[in-house]
Amino acid sequence: MRPRDLVGLLPLALYLAGFTVVPVASTLALSVSAPGGGITLDHFRRIAGHYQFGEAVVNTLAVTGIGLALELLLGLAAALALIGRPAGRQVFQVLLLVPLGVPTIVAAAVMRTAFGTVGYLNEILLRLGAIRTPVDWVGTRGLALFTVAVADAWKVTPLVMLILLAGLQAIPGELYEAARTDGASRWRQFAAITLPLLKPALTMALIVRGVDAFRIFALPLALTGRGLPVLSTYAYVEYLEYGNPYTAAASSVILLAMILLAVASYLKLAGPEEVLR
Amino acid sequence: MRRPVALLLAGLACWAVGPLYLMLKVSVSPPGEVMTARPTLLPHGLTLEHWRGLLDAGQVLPPLGKSLVTAGLVAAAALLLAAPAAYNLARLPARWRYGILLGLFLVRMLPEVSIALPVAVVFLRWGLMDSVTGLVLAHLTLVLPVVAWVLTTTFLAIPREVEEAAALDGCSAWQTLWRVTLRLAVPGLVVAGLLAWLFSWEEFLLATYLTLGAKTMPLQVYYYLYQGNWFLTAAAATLMTAPVLLLTGLLQRHLRATWLAGAVR
Repeated sequence: MRPRDLVGLLPLALYLAGFTVVPVASTLALSVSAPGGGITLDHFRRIAGHYQFGEAVVNTLAVTGIGLALELLLGLAAALALIGRPAGRQVFQVLLLVPLGVPTIVAAAVMRTAFGTVGYLNEILLRLGAIRTPVDWVGTRGLALFTVAVADAWKVTPLVMLILLAGLQAIPGELYEAARTDGASRWRQFAAITLPLLKPALTMALIVRGVDAFRIFALPLALTGRGLPVLSTYAYVEYLEYGNPYTAAASSVILLAMILLAVASYLKLAGPEEVLR
Repeated sequence: MRRPVALLLAGLACWAVGPLYLMLKVSVSPPGEVMTARPTLLPHGLTLEHWRGLLDAGQVLPPLGKSLVTAGLVAAAALLLAAPAAYNLARLPARWRYGILLGLFLVRMLPEVSIALPVAVVFLRWGLMDSVTGLVLAHLTLVLPVVAWVLTTTFLAIPREVEEAAALDGCSAWQTLWRVTLRLAVPGLVVAGLLAWLFSWEEFLLATYLTLGAKTMPLQVYYYLYQGNWFLTAAAATLMTAPVLLLTGLLQRHLRATWLAGAVR
């Protein structure tokens, strides 16, 4: 390899080193620096004893879990429906993909309109007779978690659908023909062919979406105010409201560790080549 | 079998598009239709007062301008920085390429809060708070891995034989690059540029950290939302979404799931 084969990489590498690697390293350093100098774990101890931090960790995991379940369920349903080449497939695909490009803050605004106490979801449910009195959708922690996860799922289900659709298209049709010849039921075909061969696409959707959900920020902030702290908003409030960069850095490091753990287990599960195809 | 599938798709389509319809509807509805215990689903009255209010107050045009300029610069700078890298990457041995792409993948997974905090501290010192320059520099950290990724697949798809043929026909190395390779890469460059634009246009977290006064469009929408003004929120959000729908409409034919995996959050 000659140096000129690599020279084009230099600006990008320098930029990412300076504006990404260095900042993350200095966050790491900040999280263990004593204000007077020296190394300390006090900031981690401090947030560990902070009631809101524990809540933020649990909320982050819960929003991720509920959101992923919804997205995979809806995304898989949509992908399976579209792959069967139904009538109006193109139109449906365009409509289903619409939320993909919608800005996250707009998704929050839209969902706040839908989920308000005098919002449209309550009106629809009242008309259908599913509820008798309007529900305050961010009134309790459980409902707020659900609402934030639904808002997240609304925006990103199209992405999961696209990933799964690409996965489904890669499954050779002959497999199904052979299965039908052998008299396998539709359900059996799904369980024995579709699901196992869709596994790479499913794990990819899971990790990409999981890591994004760990970092969720705008939706909980805009939908619940301070009502539902997650790790990103916790770090934000610690820094910008309480002016404490140390605890903000420490909570960012916890988030970083969670993400690295998820990515590492994914790489172990899938193998790096699969990630990069 | 056919009926349930059609019903499922119709239901999913309503779920995808319905909320946006409500947003548009609120932005043109008389307040009495919305601020009531029983809001109506279909528009009855039609009014432009919220849109007029939004534009007349003069609060929305500066953020709109700032976001437009930032997103445009981010797209241009991302292409300039990432295209040479991607070109080299595409011509490297596969093992090197995989290693570097994996590194970019990991960079993209880093939490923004851990980047935003030190960057905000440094930019405060450099006087870059509230500036377009600072925002562009910050947004590039999120955009570059994605753009490099998309462009690498673009250059990979251009066969080396085409370049060799151009060289045989007497093109110099630069002529080959400029007249042949880059021309063939135009669709990929356009897609990557649009993705970078969209990314910057909607970015919220870094903008929050790097803004003291001069808001971007997402922060302005958040501001209306925080105030609890549904109508201004709906109108501003609609204003913000319109260009996006236009661009994604253009992009749809070129979407590839693996690109988006890196690109959408």
